[in-house]
Amino acid sequence: MNKMFPTQEVGSLAKPRWRIKGYRGKPLSNEEIAEAVNWGRKLRIENLEELVKLLSRGDSAGRKSDLLEWSAKYAIRFFETAGLDIVFDGEQWRSEMYEHVIRKTAGFKFLGYVKSFDYRYFNKAACIDRPKYAKSFYLDEFLFTKENTKKEIKVPFTGAYTLVDWTFNEYYEKKFSGKIRDFKRRKFEAKREFLFDLIKEVIRPEISKLIDAGAKWIQIDEPAATTNPTDEEMKLFVESFNETVKGFSCAFSLHNCYSNYEVLARHACELRDCSQLSLEFANRDSSQLGTGNVRTGYKAIKLFEEHSFQGNYGLGVVDVHTNFVEPPELVRDRILHVAKTIGSPSRICVSPDCGLRTRTWEISFRKLRNMVLGAELARKALE
Amino acid sequence: MIGCYVTGVLPRSSKLIEQTRAYERGKISEKELEETFEKATESAIKAQISAGLSYVTDGMLKWQDLFRPFTENLNGIAVGSLTRWFNNNTFYRKPIITDYVKREKDVVNNMMQLEKLPKNLPWKAILPAPYTFVSLSENQYYKDEAEFMIEFAEIINKEIKSLAATGFSYIQLSDPALLYEPLTPKFKKDKLTLVNDVLETAVKGTTTKTCLQTFFGDFSNILPEALDFPVDHLGIDLYKTDFEKLKEYNFEKGVALGLIDSRSSLVEKQDELVAAAEQIIKSIYRSRIEEVFICPNCDLDFLPWERAEEKMKVLSSVTKRLREEFS
Repeated sequence: MNKMFPTQEVGSLAKPRWRIKGYRGKPLSNEEIAEAVNWGRKLRIENLEELVKLLSRGDSAGRKSDLLEWSAKYAIRFFETAGLDIVFDGEQWRSEMYEHVIRKTAGFKFLGYVKSFDYRYFNKAACIDRPKYAKSFYLDEFLFTKENTKKEIKVPFTGAYTLVDWTFNEYYEKKFSGKIRDFKRRKFEAKREFLFDLIKEVIRPEISKLIDAGAKWIQIDEPAATTNPTDEEMKLFVESFNETVKGFSCAFSLHNCYSNYEVLARHACELRDCSQLSLEFANRDSSQLGTGNVRTGYKAIKLFEEHSFQGNYGLGVVDVHTNFVEPPELVRDRILHVAKTIGSPSRICVSPDCGLRTRTWEISFRKLRNMVLGAELARKALE
Repeated sequence: MIGCYVTGVLPRSSKLIEQTRAYERGKISEKELEETFEKATESAIKAQISAGLSYVTDGMLKWQDLFRPFTENLNGIAVGSLTRWFNNNTFYRKPIITDYVKREKDVVNNMMQLEKLPKNLPWKAILPAPYTFVSLSENQYYKDEAEFMIEFAEIINKEIKSLAATGFSYIQLSDPALLYEPLTPKFKKDKLTLVNDVLETAVKGTTTKTCLQTFFGDFSNILPEALDFPVDHLGIDLYKTDFEKLKEYNFEKGVALGLIDSRSSLVEKQDELVAAAEQIIKSIYRSRIEEVFICPNCDLDFLPWERAEEKMKVLSSVTKRLREEFS
């Protein structure tokens, strides 16, 4: 992209109530239908009456897939209307970044809920057989997005390392039992084989399909990248990224957030063909204006520079965990601060910290709109 | 003597999980949630008894994390933000030390449902070790971290005495932070003298059996110093510890061998566990065998309840076989 400071989304957007309840086959209240209509008007969605008919009707064959398409269309238009340069569909077709992939892949079984924190849990699967590609998990969503936007598209793709880290590794631990007597070594070797089988059998085939269908940019999402910060594990993570993207003619980027950037920075330059690191900073930053020392949240960018990372930054300038709507001037100052620090404005792509799924559409829209306005102010400041 | 027990929080059953979620959404009252917790505690105790464990805990089902009863009930500590629990996809709330830390009432005893614990089996309680609690807190008050660690050890000492008075005969201090140094190329041993002093304070004048349970790291890193720690038993995570290095040392102290992997859903093969334990016991006890406990390497609540229950049964069977082997 030739434009300085292009703007992008990072992944998920909340699913509207009419999408969630409708998908589950539950009847919708008038208020929920009105919400769909109001946003539809705001986003200039065509044939709204068709959606209203669909929402008012009871459960029927084809209703589910129709609803996925409608909510994807809404999300695409949501990003376009906010003024973003690079878009996707807010992951409206996915239940969640982990479950969506695992459910569509053979070799896994969900064991039930385990603790995350307090009264929160997550549904954790076990790998019980060699992972095998069963059906595509991102292709249809990509094709629909491609048909419904003229903007540049970036496809968010849950990375293999995270899928493995969040899954019990029964099949491979069993396979290695008896072969390696030291439990610690055995666990590591079992993890390694699981990881590279998953990449070979499942991840790469899907990437290949996406590229054949015209995908030009895939964002590998790896929230678990620095969960195990030892050198040995970080090398495994880097190797998994490199193996994932090897030989494909497509742009790749990495998204990682709420992590240890000191650790990631040390290994970032070993990532091959990683054109962009999309990172979270706004969450760590103050909300005061200024381009100098006040930008405490952006210190980590220096670490990546010191370790000679040469790609671009997907610079998180909007905090996705608060309802505070960053004024355009704050966004501008964050961008200008980093532009000054790294000395090359062309390496900055303006982003939210992460997907906006935990915010309402109202808040998300205002945040993204201001992000776009802030990028514009930053451009003007450098002209 | 070879015994077995669990080493931490047990998982909540799917029924209990469902109820805690319903409570969060305002669908059930606190009283209803409390009743479900009580029933689940009964089941957690029953499962340990029927598996045949040598000591029984109350399951710690209400513990939101290893620190929370202390974070919430000691003066001078605020409940902080969610923080990753070592290299797991789980999170704890960081204790923020804002003032002089003071204990005005029993902490762990007040979490217990004593009437549900069996009369005919010994009881075990689990507390955070001072080193781990202090290292994972954010200290905004004490000038010197060592001073705070000793202060906290005094609190743990009072807790142990109070638990002993209630009837607990075994106290485990969980100390994962002691071994977790993923970013240090060579393990820093300089902290071990302090840890020794801290443990001295924590156990002075107590009469219960004590165990320092380490996990998430290689126990051989704190050898031979740990052999002098003033506790009865040393807990070892065998899924993180280099077997060969461990076997280089001669133990004259009891151990708790973390032979069951709480972070894997795969139910272990008994033969393999027996063989591994035999080999370790024979290597580390060159003159005479001290007290040995077989246990999960860490809290079983990384697993769904059913798997944890299966693993407790394996734990007990393996212990029986080892008992026969070494009798």
